[in-house]
Amino acid sequence: MRVLDYEIPDKLHYSKEHEWVRVEGKQAVVGITDYAQKQLHEIVYVEVTKVGTNIDQFQIMGTVESVKSVSDIFAPASGKIVEVNNELSDSPELLNEDPYDRGWIAKVNLTNFDKDLKKLMSAQEYARYIESLEE
Amino acid sequence: MSEKPLQRTHLYRYHKRTAKMTQFAGFEMPLWYKGIIPEHLAVRNSVGIFDITHMGRAVITGSKNEAFLNYVTTNDVAALTPLSAHYSLMCNENGGIKDDLILSKLEQEKFLMVYNAANRQKNYQWLIQNAKTFNAKVEDVSDNIAMFAVQGPKAQQTLQKIANTDLSKIERFKCGWTKLTDVDVFLSRTGYTGEDGFEVFVWNTPLKDPANAEKVWNATLEAGESFEIQPCGLGARDTLRLEAGMCLYGNDITEDTNPLEAGLGFVVKLQKEAFLGKEALLRQKMEGIKRKRVGLKMLEKGIPRPQHEVWKDSLEKVGYVTSGTFSPILHCGIAMAYVSVQYMTEGENLNVKIRDKFIKAEVVKFPFYDTTKYGYGRQKQCAY
Repeated sequence: MRVLDYEIPDKLHYSKEHEWVRVEGKQAVVGITDYAQKQLHEIVYVEVTKVGTNIDQFQIMGTVESVKSVSDIFAPASGKIVEVNNELSDSPELLNEDPYDRGWIAKVNLTNFDKDLKKLMSAQEYARYIESLEE
Repeated sequence: MSEKPLQRTHLYRYHKRTAKMTQFAGFEMPLWYKGIIPEHLAVRNSVGIFDITHMGRAVITGSKNEAFLNYVTTNDVAALTPLSAHYSLMCNENGGIKDDLILSKLEQEKFLMVYNAANRQKNYQWLIQNAKTFNAKVEDVSDNIAMFAVQGPKAQQTLQKIANTDLSKIERFKCGWTKLTDVDVFLSRTGYTGEDGFEVFVWNTPLKDPANAEKVWNATLEAGESFEIQPCGLGARDTLRLEAGMCLYGNDITEDTNPLEAGLGFVVKLQKEAFLGKEALLRQKMEGIKRKRVGLKMLEKGIPRPQHEVWKDSLEKVGYVTSGTFSPILHCGIAMAYVSVQYMTEGENLNVKIRDKFIKAEVVKFPFYDTTKYGYGRQKQCAY
């Protein structure tokens, strides 16, 4: 769906810190939302925690920098990082251009997703959340 | 957070409609319109216009005003002829920098001082306090002037289309009066980007009567259309000045840094008669400085930011970053940093500690860009 100026795909789960999770079996792909990339604007640097690291939900798993600002990326779900998007190192602008697809950040082997899910939002809930922020 | 309402400029409605806004020094100002990078590149390659009305401005008059200005600033005011300007500093008694500024001589016994928005009140108080013993009058004219910067290799051609005098006659660091459309303005060929360009003062234009300010802004945008002029916000203003190696007050210079370590000794005329900070600076010059402001260019991925530590071989902390950003021209992280003098030499390899990692950097000279390709001194391009 589209809310205000922001794309919010239906099947994903969302965090209050504007990360998304797409579940694919026992694995999940994570990234930052359209809202996040539009707020940051002109992303020029991305750094992600090493493959093999175990992270807890909402723990810092990386950093994204625009020309002016530095923001943490919080893991939307607990698990082991099994792959990071190496393309972002040379092309951080992918986060601006295609935040839900080519701009994915990492793949995580989920360890406790049933519990994590309770602290995430559906697309509808996230849309209402964005609207409340823009008021 | 702040109780005082934010101040606005004459162009507020334009900014609010077209820009991402930010708070700066008590003002609500545009951060970017299209984006920091495209705005930055417009100024390096063609032309951009900035609203810099938030800056502080004072007019100094009176028969002893030159003696007063020579006492309160570090550069040699006697060297200024009417309609010329120079970069200068105000220092405290300890030689610490109160602010940096541009001083323009409007006519005999009349000067215009332009300084940082964040220091408006502080500087005005300082000027008033020190003017007492001189026959000099200081008037804060900040709220009566709209001020724009038109910067870039196409700045002159842009403004010429709407000016009624020959702007090529105004050389770098010279000033003059002209009409832009039908509005009287004062121009100085100065700026904060490293590029050729002008700063435009629309006098007698209080906030409640913004018509002349809007007229000049809109006419400039229209005149620059064929050069794809870009309105520019404070974001690009910061990246442009950093690439040019110019200091930002509060970051790179403060009351705790002195001009010699900041690399601004060229505007401190120690042979002048008594001036504020002279004795401390003479002493510092005799003793030698311990740290120096240098440029750092990152050799690995990573963007240096203020307060990041600078290390030698990850063994010894040798300094800290005061300004840092991603350079749109160099496509890498760049910074200004204060480092111990033994590590200030061009080509020195250092590390910036970014989130617990030591990222390789090299000491480089200012400006960061290739001066044959960018900046006011570049080869003049063929017209056709």
